[in-house]
Amino acid sequence: MPKSMYPRPTFKKILKAQSNRAISKDVDILVFLKYTLFMQALLDEARIETKKAGGSSGGGGGAAGGAITARSVRKVREGVLRKFKG
Amino acid sequence: MSDSARKKQRSSLRISDATNTNPSTLYTDPVTPYRRATSAGAATPGSRSIRTPGTARTPRGGPATRPISRRAAPTTPHAIRALRERADAARTPGRVRRRSGRVQRETPRDILRDLSRVLARDTRPTEPSPLIPSRPSRHSALDLPDLEDGPEPVAPRLSIPLGDMYDDDDSIHEAPPRQSILPNLPDDADNGTIQSLEFGRRALSEDPRLMYGGRLSERFADLSELGMDGDEIEVDGIFVNRRRTINPEDILDQVPEEDMDETTTQMMLTGRRGGRPSDVDLGVFGEMEDETEEPTFRFTIPPRMQATIPRGDEEMGAGDAMDETILEEEEGEQEQEQEDEEQTYAGAEMNQDETAGLVIDNDTDQQLGWESDPEPNPDEDADLQAYREEISAIDRSLQTQSPERTPAQKRIGRQRRALNVSRFGLEYPSVPTATVKMLAAGFAKSQGSKAKISKDTLEALVQTSDFFFEQVGEDLAAYAQHAGRKVIEESDVVALMKRYVSLSYRYFTTTIDVVHPFTHTYANCTFFSPHT
Repeated sequence: MPKSMYPRPTFKKILKAQSNRAISKDVDILVFLKYTLFMQALLDEARIETKKAGGSSGGGGGAAGGAITARSVRKVREGVLRKFKG
Repeated sequence: MSDSARKKQRSSLRISDATNTNPSTLYTDPVTPYRRATSAGAATPGSRSIRTPGTARTPRGGPATRPISRRAAPTTPHAIRALRERADAARTPGRVRRRSGRVQRETPRDILRDLSRVLARDTRPTEPSPLIPSRPSRHSALDLPDLEDGPEPVAPRLSIPLGDMYDDDDSIHEAPPRQSILPNLPDDADNGTIQSLEFGRRALSEDPRLMYGGRLSERFADLSELGMDGDEIEVDGIFVNRRRTINPEDILDQVPEEDMDETTTQMMLTGRRGGRPSDVDLGVFGEMEDETEEPTFRFTIPPRMQATIPRGDEEMGAGDAMDETILEEEEGEQEQEQEDEEQTYAGAEMNQDETAGLVIDNDTDQQLGWESDPEPNPDEDADLQAYREEISAIDRSLQTQSPERTPAQKRIGRQRRALNVSRFGLEYPSVPTATVKMLAAGFAKSQGSKAKISKDTLEALVQTSDFFFEQVGEDLAAYAQHAGRKVIEESDVVALMKRYVSLSYRYFTTTIDVVHPFTHTYANCTFFSPHT
């Protein structure tokens, strides 16, 4: 593990800038936990989408069973974001 | 059931067979239904086995009084007369009208009617006592006569005035429901069942683009309506107003990749508020912040300036003017709807946009020909003039990839990563790419696909992460504000988590690896799932 997976000041800065409020002690860690869940959901959906795109057209950029494509990520992220809306 | 009752049923059944082809009984047993089912349809009138008051006088004695034996036909005159009387009673034409005897025993309504008959004798209907106006307890000198007894106030109109039907602010009711997506086919076209084919629609209220109202990054549609074709620049005195269509930062980020194809990409790019590296901190422009403290912005979007418009901004310096150009376009995108009330806000945000616009200068001056150097360039006026004759630099940079734009030049004055500016004017770094990559690779591997995350995928994930943190920050701020706090606490995040659980718990089914931020150890977090 070369670097920290969780650069805490960075995430704190992000959260503080986005909420424009003071952040209590461990809020950023909890938010990061939620963020991991979000990423999991997003990648799950994107993987399904990639498989669908690869299975249907074949030329959609998604190799079947291969890596997740950016297109599928862009396609599913709106729904996943909405799902994670508080 | 007693033996006598059973005997009675059998015998009466046989007798009614003899008399009027009636399969059911005249004598009714407690287990026998009182009335035929309505599905029995047109039965003979005798089939309604109803004991009218007339038939109530039918001899119903015990088995001792019944002369009817089990098998034999009635022979005694009494029995014959009784049977005939019973049959006559069954054929009585007015019998249907007199159902009260039966109904009274059956339905709850008749129970209530019985009750009402009992109660109606000795109860009186309630008379509402006249309403005595309560005497107010204040001082008698304050009692003005008939304060409330003025003319009747006009009843408020509860309907919506017709004018609101047409000037609609809410765009939800604006668009009619989308019709089916079938093409217009001629009537004689042999289209088989295509006319009945209806594809799924999505309600406008559930349109995901409308679900995130108020959040900038989701106003894709609005921002993409600005179009990609041309900017508008107006020079009014020393002010340069320019309408921006594409965030230059996004374009710069997007230049090395060829993945500009998708419309979703375009929407995301236009919707995203640009990251502006503000870590470039030139002192000269720090001085200029003071002299641009005056409200020099106007957010009206006039048509594009042509080159014939005289410019009066030589004393301001072309670099500064173009700073304002970029700045105006940064702001103008944001503030088009809210121009008037946001003047002070824009002025406050200007100081940090100043430096941001400068870096954009650095990025674009290879094409524009003007320099962002602090000292004024002698030939920058001509270049600026030439620039204004062309189409805007932002769109031009989108159209053509100029060969001299190398990634090294692109990263001028930028150390590590782009700094975005949130809605509140606060700068924030983008989500670290390493974190996203590690997370994504781990999840992708656990999901069974390849752990390799390509570059554009990673970029999309980072962008999505930015959106996510924007959303989370907004939600947390809303929760904290609802709790009356200024500080976001853990309980707010817990509330957000709970909300998430209620929304989608199926993502809790898998096990993820989370690195503890302090100890850097792997914690194996398995979440509760009601499905497993």
